[in-house]
Formats: sequence, C-alpha cells, structure tokens
Amino acid sequence: MEEVDKILIHSLRQAGTPVPPEVQSVRDLTPELVVEAAVRCLRAVRPALGAPLSPLLPPGISARFRLASDLAAACQELGFGGDVGYQTFLYSSEHDTRRLLLFLVEKLPRDESERGAEPPGKSGALLRAIGARIQEQLGTPWVPPACRTARLQRLQGTGQLRPFVTCPLVLPQSGGPPELQEYFGGAAPPVPAQPPLSVGTPPSLLEAHATQLSARHDWEAEWGGPGLASRLPPQEYVGRKRLRARLRALEPLRQACPPRPQGPPPGPLDPAWLQEAFGAGGVGGFGGALPKGSRFTRTQHLTHEQDPQILLQQIQAAAETLHPSKSPEEDAGARRAGEEAALEETLARLEAEIEGCRGEVRDAQLSLTQAEAEVRQGRLVLGGREDALRLKARAVELLPDAESNMAKLQLVVEASSRRIVSLAGQWERHRGPLLAEYRHLRALRDSAQLESSRRLSEIRSLHERSRSAAAEARRKEELYKQLVAELEALPRDVSRAVYTQRILEIVGNIRKQKEEIGKILVDTRALQKEINSLVGKLERTFSVTDELLFKDAKRDEVVRKAYKYLAALHENCAQLIQTIEDTGTIQREIRDLEEQIEGETSAKPPASLDRILSDCRELREENALLAARARHA
Amino acid sequence: MAEPETQLLLAVGLIEKDTNGDALWVWCYPSITAELRSLLLRKCCLTDENKLLHTFVFGQYKRLWFYITTVEVQDSPALKKVTHFSIVLTAKDFNPEKYAAFTRILCRIYLKHGSPVKMMESYIAVLTKGICQSEENGSFLSKDFDARKAYLAGSIKDIVSQFGMETVILYTALMLKKRIVVYHPRIEAIQEFTRTLPALVWHRQDWSIVHSYVHLNEEEVEALKACTGYIAGFIDSEVNSRPDLYDVYVNLADSEITISPVVKEAMTMGKLHKEIGQLIVQSAEDPDKSDSQVIKDISLKTKEILATLASLTEASDGHEKRTLNSEALKQKRFPPATENFLFHLAAAEQMLKI
Repeated sequence: MEEVDKILIHSLRQAGTPVPPEVQSVRDLTPELVVEAAVRCLRAVRPALGAPLSPLLPPGISARFRLASDLAAACQELGFGGDVGYQTFLYSSEHDTRRLLLFLVEKLPRDESERGAEPPGKSGALLRAIGARIQEQLGTPWVPPACRTARLQRLQGTGQLRPFVTCPLVLPQSGGPPELQEYFGGAAPPVPAQPPLSVGTPPSLLEAHATQLSARHDWEAEWGGPGLASRLPPQEYVGRKRLRARLRALEPLRQACPPRPQGPPPGPLDPAWLQEAFGAGGVGGFGGALPKGSRFTRTQHLTHEQDPQILLQQIQAAAETLHPSKSPEEDAGARRAGEEAALEETLARLEAEIEGCRGEVRDAQLSLTQAEAEVRQGRLVLGGREDALRLKARAVELLPDAESNMAKLQLVVEASSRRIVSLAGQWERHRGPLLAEYRHLRALRDSAQLESSRRLSEIRSLHERSRSAAAEARRKEELYKQLVAELEALPRDVSRAVYTQRILEIVGNIRKQKEEIGKILVDTRALQKEINSLVGKLERTFSVTDELLFKDAKRDEVVRKAYKYLAALHENCAQLIQTIEDTGTIQREIRDLEEQIEGETSAKPPASLDRILSDCRELREENALLAARARHA
Repeated sequence: MAEPETQLLLAVGLIEKDTNGDALWVWCYPSITAELRSLLLRKCCLTDENKLLHTFVFGQYKRLWFYITTVEVQDSPALKKVTHFSIVLTAKDFNPEKYAAFTRILCRIYLKHGSPVKMMESYIAVLTKGICQSEENGSFLSKDFDARKAYLAGSIKDIVSQFGMETVILYTALMLKKRIVVYHPRIEAIQEFTRTLPALVWHRQDWSIVHSYVHLNEEEVEALKACTGYIAGFIDSEVNSRPDLYDVYVNLADSEITISPVVKEAMTMGKLHKEIGQLIVQSAEDPDKSDSQVIKDISLKTKEILATLASLTEASDGHEKRTLNSEALKQKRFPPATENFLFHLAAAEQMLKI
C-alpha cells in the first residue's frame, strides 16, 4: 500500500496540490489536503464542475459540510461508483479516501499529464502551435477566392492562385564523361536559379521528384519481371530494349516507304525518293500502290486506253445515224424503224465480237500456259542434252584408242575412288573428335543453362522474399506507429521512470524477503530434523532402559521401583511436551486475534468518533448561537 | 562405262540426333547446299520432339529427289551419343524402292561401324559400279530396280476403291495438267497415294509432277508454284486455306475431292467423262485384273481420246509439230463439255497453235 500511496501523492502533486514532503501515505492526509486535492483534480478533469468549488476548507462547520457535500455530488456526477458523501472528506477513513483519490487521478486528462511529462521548451511549444494551426486549417472547408472573408483570406490566401508551371531541372548525376562532371561541379546553376520565374521552382521540384519516383517504380517492375528472365546484365538489357523499341518504331515507316532505289545514290538522301516516301506515309488515299503508281494515275491510264475504242464506237454510231439524216425528205417513221434495225444489228454484232474476244482470250491463255510449259520443258531438255553433249564429246575424244582409254579410265576411276575413300578416312579423323567436342560443349552449355535457370528462379524467389519482407517491414512499421499512438493515448499519470523504479524496488524487496523466508524455512527444517532425531533417540533409549529394568524388576524390588519411576517420568515428559505444543498453538491464536483487533482499531479509529462528537457539539453550539442571534434579531 | 544409271545419284548425307536433343547435319558427300540442308532437316522427322519416327520418306524439290531413311539407335557401341540418325540420298530419278533398299544398307553399315567411311565405300561402289555388298546377305544391284517397276509399284485399284466414280476428277485434272493438293496427317499414306496418281496418265510417264512431301514453307511453296501441274502432298491441314496452291484439293483422310472455282469451267464433266469413269471403275473392280492391267485399260482409253484429238490436227507450215485445227473441232459438233475438254487437253498436250 505504501508504494501505491507514494504514486498517488506524486500524481496529486503534479495536479497542483501542495502536499508537504513529510506526508508519505494516505493516512497522513488531513481533511484540508484531501479536499484541496479533490477540488484540484476536479478542476483539471472538468473545469465546469471544479470551478465553483473552493480548494480551501472554510472555518465554519456548516460551510465545511456544504463544501464537502458539493464535492461528493460532483464526484458522483463524474461517475464515481463508490459510496461518497461529506463524511468521506471530513471524517475520512484511509480506505475510502484512497479509493476516491485513485478514481480522481485516473480521470485526470492525459494531455495534462503529458504536458507535465514533456520536457518544457520552446521547440515543444512551437510544435504544438504548428499542430494546432494545421488542425484548424484542415478543419475549415476550402472556399473559392472570391468568397473568402478576411479571416479565410488570412488562412487560405487572398486568391493569387498560380498556375502549375514546371520546367525541366538539371540535377547533378554521378557518372558520365568528365566534361559533364566538370559542368556539374562548377558551371551548373543551382536549382532555384534554373526556372525562368522564381515561382516555378516548387512545381519543378515536385515534378522532378515525381518523375524520378515513377521511373524508379517502372524500372523495378520491369527488372523484376522480364528483365530477370532475359538473363542479361541491366545495361545490356536496357540497350536491347532500346534497340527493339527503335526497330518497332521504324517498322511502320519502312512499310510505308517504297524501297530505296538501287544503284549509286546521288547523295545521302535522294530528294525524289524522300518525296515519294513522305507522300506514301502522309496521304492514306495514295498508300499501298505506290510502287506501281497511285490509284489516280492508274485510273487515268485505263481511261486513256479505253478512249480509242469508245471513240471508235461513237464515230461508228454517229456515221450510222448520220447516214439516214442525210435524206431528211424521207418519212420519219421509216427512218426510225431503219435506225432501230441498224442499232439492233450493231448490238448483235458487238455481242458476237465480245463473245469472240472472250474465246480468243481463253485460247490465248491456254496458249500461254502451253507455251510456258513448252519453254520449261525445252529448257529441261536443253540442260539434259547439254550434259549429254559434253559427255559424248569427251567420249568422242577418247574414241580413237577406245580399248586403252577404257582401261585408263577404269584405272582412274579405281584410283580416285580409293583416294576419295582414304580422304574420307582422313576427314573422319578430324570430324569425329570435333563432333564429339561439340556435343560435349553442348551438353556443358545445357547444364550451365540449367544451372543458370535454377539460379534465376532462386533470384526470383529471393526477390519475392525481399518484396514480402519489405511489405512485412512496412506493416510492422504501421503497427509500430499504431502502437506508439496507442501508447501515447494511454494515461500516463506519472513518469514511467518513477513507476519503473518503484517496481524494481518492490521486486528487489520481494526478492530479499523471499531469501529471508528461504533461510527461515531451512532453519525450521533443520530444527525439525533435530527434533525428530532426538525423539527417535529418546524412544530407543527409553525402550532399552525399559527392557533392562523390566528384566531385573522381577528379581529386584529397587529395580521395580525404578521401573515405575521411569514409566511415570516418561508419561510426565510426554504430557510436558503436549502442553508446550498446546501453548504454541494458543500463542499463535492470540497473535491472530491481536492482529484482528489492530485491524479493527485502524478501521474505526476512535479519534474520528471523537472528532464527530466534537463537531456535533460545535454544530449544536453554532446552531444555538444562530438561534439566539435570530431571537435577538 | 558411261552408264546413265550411275549419274543419277547426286549426294549422300547423314543427320544425327544426339543425346542433347539436337538434330545435326554431321556428314555429307560430295556436297549439299545450305538451302537443301535446312529443307532436308525439316523433312527428316528428327527435328520434332513429339512426332513419330518415319522410317522412310521421299519427296521432290526443284526436280531433285530426296530419300531419307531414319533409324533409332539402341545399344550401339559405335554410336554412344546418338539416339537417332537419318541417311539422306539425293538423286535425279524417282525410284523409292531402289533408294529405300540402298539407304537401308547404308544405315546398317553406319550402325555397325559408327563411321561414315565404310558408308562412303559402298556409296562409291554403287556410283562407279552400280553394285555394293550388303552387310548381312546378298548385295545391292541398282540394275535390279527398274524405273518402270517404280512407276507400277502403287496400287491404282486402291485409289479407285476409295474414290469410286470421283476418280475421274483426278483423271481429268491430271490429263489437263492441273494442280492437285493431297492432304493426310500421315505422310506414308500421302506418299503411297501421290506416287500412284501419275499412273492414270501413263502415256506421259512423267513422275516429276509428284511432290509427295511439301511443307508450307516459303521456299518450298515458291518452288511448287513454279511448276505447271503437280501433285503435292501436305501433312498440314492449313493447306486447305491456301487456294492459290491448288486446282483440285484431295482430303485423303476424309476421301473428299474439292474442285477450286477457278477451274470449274475447264473441268466441266460431260458424257465422255462418265464413260471414262465407268471404264475405270469397271476395270478396277474386276478381281482378275492386276494393277498394271487396269493402268493399261485406262491408257488405251486415253490413247483413243488422243487419237481423236490427233485427227483434228493439221501440220502447219514451217513446223513439224501438228497443231489443233479449232475449226475442225467445232465442225465435229461434240457436246460442249467434250469440246471444252478436248480443247483444254490440246493445250495440255501442247497441240495448240501459238
């Protein structure tokens, strides 16, 4: 209880009650101190409740009672569950006072205690001020610049919103050619001097930062996925990717452009070719058919080709219609009929012509295929015949001396086949080992590849693990923050150091006591052992003596007497021991009872009763005085 | 000593698949171009992981015939690191049986010795003498394998039994030198079918139109397109969506024949076709007739038609070749389909006046 009281008193001191240093426990608290402590705590917990109450106990008894009753009511309003009334303050028992004070101290606001715990200083005050200011600004809704009141203008600005204008910043980088390093070392302007307007600095910095951040994210995602799978060093991977991207970008251009004219080019770029290329790329309508001329030119071409035919037909028709028109004196009907017949005839003729043309075209096509086939066959035959001719020419050359030439040829064939076979054997000596080596290397490469893919999967799993570890770390950080917040939210009545010290002291005390108890236990046990051995010894001695005496008792009268005495002695001793034990028990009971009495006396101190009686008497006197005053008045 | 036989062989090569799973050209004699090497690597079945082993495949590329025999190596002390190997022969002539026999012998030699030198000896022997000793028994004699035998090796009766009257479409397409594409997932079926088809036009004796194993590869398709009429075999069903490659599409797996709309007019069937079709079916269904007799029957009918056509030709001045007199053809007043067929046939047989 002493420790609890110390902590309680410490808290009360922090709440502002001037507890004298000699007061060490709740028992020593005077009613004045209790009332002052309760009022100060109430004021700290809820100023509305505590403000009307005076921390000083007035001299008048009735005023005292009123104050105490008000205090009790306030405590009950605060939520104190126990039995509380004026007596708690004025005639307080130790137990009730402790309960009440503990309740009040627990209710003390946290920031109060924190403020007490925090190191006072300018920085702390500034931080608090900043925090409060930000809280306030976050709490106010955003209002368009035109509608802002004077206060809001102070808070959210007067409406000079600036557009978010950025400009690329040149930041120093490590690596690169020495000239660049030199530039960064001396000549590069500092970042605030780089944007053309000074207001552009923060947006530019923000953008530069966002760019770097996203680039880093992208790279991590890229490298984690396909980058690792490509099994290339990062530099090489980036180079390849760049090359691929360039090729992909060039591909549509290449498709849109006609093939570059062959032959010696006049310069680095032929203007005509370029024009054509850009024409193809730029205008969709002419695309696709460029090498063969645009669609427009083709159409033109076709119409020009058809033109003579159409013209011819038109001329014919005109001639036919002209002919009858030469004789205008003829009858109109006859003329029309003649015209009709002529037209029909022309139509029939044209149809027949078309049919004929179609047949001709077909025939021509067939002839063409036949001609092609013939040409092909002819070429083949020619090839075969050329071979045959060469062979026959050689044969004719050798013909004059056929027999010997035959034999010679036979020999040559034999010899060359033997040579070829031996050459093949020689080649085999080179080929075999090379092939074996190739296969061996190939197998090695395979196994290396296997190894590398195993490593790759390992790396990937490591990556995964590191990523999960990072996530875990982040989660734990969150948890840590949350716990810190919770810890801060927890009531901190006294500084932790005091608690810790107290707890350590208590633990030390307990340990010491435990050691003491252990020693005593060891002593007791030793004693018990000794007693036991003594009892045993006594028993043995007694039985031996008893036996000896009993043997002789039959013969000798003196011995018989002695035996009787011995028996009596033994019996008396036993009684004696019994009595001693009983005394011990009774003494223990007495001690218990004494403890109980002490407890009772502390619980209901007669002083308190006396005080009540004297207060009662004083009250009666006051009442009588008042009554008398009233009577006089 | 200048036997025409010996000049037919062009080269021999060796492709190995090793324990690393690589199919490699390891040896060739005298030389094979890089283009042809990559083509042959594609043809031999070693490059694909999951595909079955085709023991013998043949085909044609730019009038060059290739024959590939593939063998799986099992417990050969001479070839420790090799799982499979293919012997590749290129030649000028079509004779699958001959080259199958020869490559088999070469395979056995290589399997036993593990060195191409022995193989080389046999190859040189065949090249110079037309004969070589086999490892086990007997010997290979290239004279034993006549080209005519190779032409007759396929069974025309099987084709007729599979397609019935529709065989006449194939006949017409072949007569008119149209482009035929055959699809079947199994290369063996395609090879058997394509090599038999030219027998329908026996009078031409032209097997160079057979391209029995073509991949839908740019070079191969280009080479194929350079030919007038052909029979091309594909194992890739994608070929169905390449109408630029065929006039007649034969789905051998489903026994379906499709005629491309482009040649519908040229391939209009008439009474004459029905007649021919009936003749073919009758002849093929006769159990007493052998394949060669069926071919003979068809060939007789073809000759008849050609004789009709020949009667309509005239010797134009300055040329010794007779050309078709289209007026005479019209005067004969054949049914339109027949006239059309005869006209196209004349073009195919190079009897038109140019």
